[in-house]
Amino acid sequence: MDVWLEFARGPLFAFCFLVMVLGLARHLILQVYLLLNKGHTLRRVRWSMVALDSLGWAIPLRHLIRGTVVLTLASVLFHIGVIVVPLFLGDHVLLWETTLGFDLPQIGQRTADILTLSTLACLLVLLFYRIWVPRSRALSRWSDYGLIVAIVLPFATGFMAAHPAWNPVPWQAMMLIHVLSANLLLVLVPFSKLAHVVLFPFDRLSQVHWQLKPGAGDKAAAALYGEEARV
Amino acid sequence: MEKQNQAERTPEPSPDLTPEYMFHVDKPVPRDRAGAFLQSLAAILQFSDYRYLLDSYAASSAKCSRCVVTCPIYQVSGEQRDIPCYRSNILLDVYRRYFTLRGWMASRFGRGFELTDDLVDEMAEIFWRCTACRRCTLECPLGIDHGLIARLGRYALSMAGIAPKALQVSVREQLEGETHNTSKVPTSALLDTLEFLSEEIEDYLGVKLTFPVDKEDRDHVFFCAVSDYLMEPDTLMGNAIVLYAAGDWDRWTISTQNCDGINYGLFYSDWHLERIIRQLVDEVTRLRGKEILIGECGHASRSAKDFVPVFGGSDPYPVVNFMEYTLRRLEEGKLKFCPEVITEKVTYHDPCNIARSGWIVDQPRKILKSFVKDFVEMEPHGRENYCCGGGGGLVSLDETHEYRMDVAGRVKAEQIEATGAEIVIAPCANCKKQLKELVEYHKLPCRVMGLHDLILQAVEIPGAKSALERREEGLGPLAM
Repeated sequence: MDVWLEFARGPLFAFCFLVMVLGLARHLILQVYLLLNKGHTLRRVRWSMVALDSLGWAIPLRHLIRGTVVLTLASVLFHIGVIVVPLFLGDHVLLWETTLGFDLPQIGQRTADILTLSTLACLLVLLFYRIWVPRSRALSRWSDYGLIVAIVLPFATGFMAAHPAWNPVPWQAMMLIHVLSANLLLVLVPFSKLAHVVLFPFDRLSQVHWQLKPGAGDKAAAALYGEEARV
Repeated sequence: MEKQNQAERTPEPSPDLTPEYMFHVDKPVPRDRAGAFLQSLAAILQFSDYRYLLDSYAASSAKCSRCVVTCPIYQVSGEQRDIPCYRSNILLDVYRRYFTLRGWMASRFGRGFELTDDLVDEMAEIFWRCTACRRCTLECPLGIDHGLIARLGRYALSMAGIAPKALQVSVREQLEGETHNTSKVPTSALLDTLEFLSEEIEDYLGVKLTFPVDKEDRDHVFFCAVSDYLMEPDTLMGNAIVLYAAGDWDRWTISTQNCDGINYGLFYSDWHLERIIRQLVDEVTRLRGKEILIGECGHASRSAKDFVPVFGGSDPYPVVNFMEYTLRRLEEGKLKFCPEVITEKVTYHDPCNIARSGWIVDQPRKILKSFVKDFVEMEPHGRENYCCGGGGGLVSLDETHEYRMDVAGRVKAEQIEATGAEIVIAPCANCKKQLKELVEYHKLPCRVMGLHDLILQAVEIPGAKSALERREEGLGPLAM
């Protein structure tokens, strides 16, 4: 078991982390490349509006409109937990130091426990919402349900590993499942909607996308209909 | 790529195979619609920057369903196909499957998504049901612009030969016809109309004005929806009287070569959008004008404001919406409106194309509140306004009348009713048409008019009858 655990926590984790970083880098590079291409047209973007809208979502009081109160609260709480616990939990910080070589401040076990349980609760709410509310169900695909499960796994197993009294299986087995499920999640990030972790600042820049490329229409029409293309 | 118009190459499909869309098409649609759609999308992606947009949205759309709560269409129809994210994801599916390595690989494992002719027909329906009001963008936590995706879908469809006949015919006349306007109004008819307006103003206010036509070196070159010349004389007279009262009569002009600010390309085609903007800019250059002044039309204002800088060369002409101009002159003290003459309860409808970006929200309200005693807001309003239901070019498609009345415009009708207003101000040619139809269909006890119609009723001109006198004598827009 030790061999598996050392492998999962060591080389496998490093590999999965690398896949995540490279995958997200690909997304990031493409979007930054677009911004560079757009060059001086970026001056026309109403950046103050982008900033205000973004702030409005960081603290979404205005968005607690009827029909989405539960969703909004669950989502905000979930995001706090899902960012803070994986990054700043004591044992994880140790992992960053040894395998990846950088340091982060740590949170106490009690804080981590509260956040983990709240994250799990929010995930259940989100899952229930997706199954129960018709408009959400209409929109959901297998990956939307699957990703919720993929996030529940490392959080649930991580909590149980930190509290051996809760373990239905030996500690090492729980840790192995925890590490493997976390590794799986890392790999899934760049290939699923979880890529929004790096893409979210760019999604809001639709104003940039509205700075259309001059001449593109004529070229497309010429390619499809010939140089003498008419309406 | 075939060097021919796609639709011309395809033989006439047999009647039972011709798909039925919610709009009439002007040419037989291609038999292989899936192929035509993919070819068009490929050509569009090859030469534009849409690839980055699709890539980003395809990788981050969370399908949280928040957009649904704000969509005026979904709120009434409750149909899955009207969910903004669901609609966008159809186009994103096409992109993922046919334009990404991952999509290709997934297809080898039997992922199942395949673009069929039926799906193209469905897209034609779904993308045109959307009025592109972009309320959904306000509620999407990621800020995904579903209106832009719907528009891209329409663009690909139009390049594949599937587009509404009414809009295509209008654009064809505007770009390739003799009159260069969407309503095929010949110059003689335009000049006759201006003469008629001149006479009306003289009867009404005792002011003799000759409309400046094709004058060079003027500050403002004026464009409005050409339909205004035929159907909205009060709005135009209001515009004219403001220019006169502010002392700017010798500083503006109309062009007979190109008087039409309408730009249907904004709704469904980058190709048309750019060509129409370039035509507009060329006209201003021909007249050596300094600034583009757009009358009361939402999409004409937005087309010019947002796309003259994009397509109008390195030193693009500034674009001013008429309400910005009127407010400026009002605040300078050059305009006087009678604060007693409008006794009705008045509300204001924000046209999506000028309000969603926050550009024109406060200006009309400041103007109205300066002379309207009983002003009431719809809720929500401003940037978060509800679409009239005729946006995205739908109002020009008469065949969509029932859809616009029963589905797309229903929330707006309820909003108007809730205010109890007697007058709805809608400074947009398309919104006015839609709202007038809505008011009639839902039997709402109110009138719809432009902002400058009301200004025409309330404006005080030295030497002319006062606004109160005119009202008492049954003269002016409100008297009818």
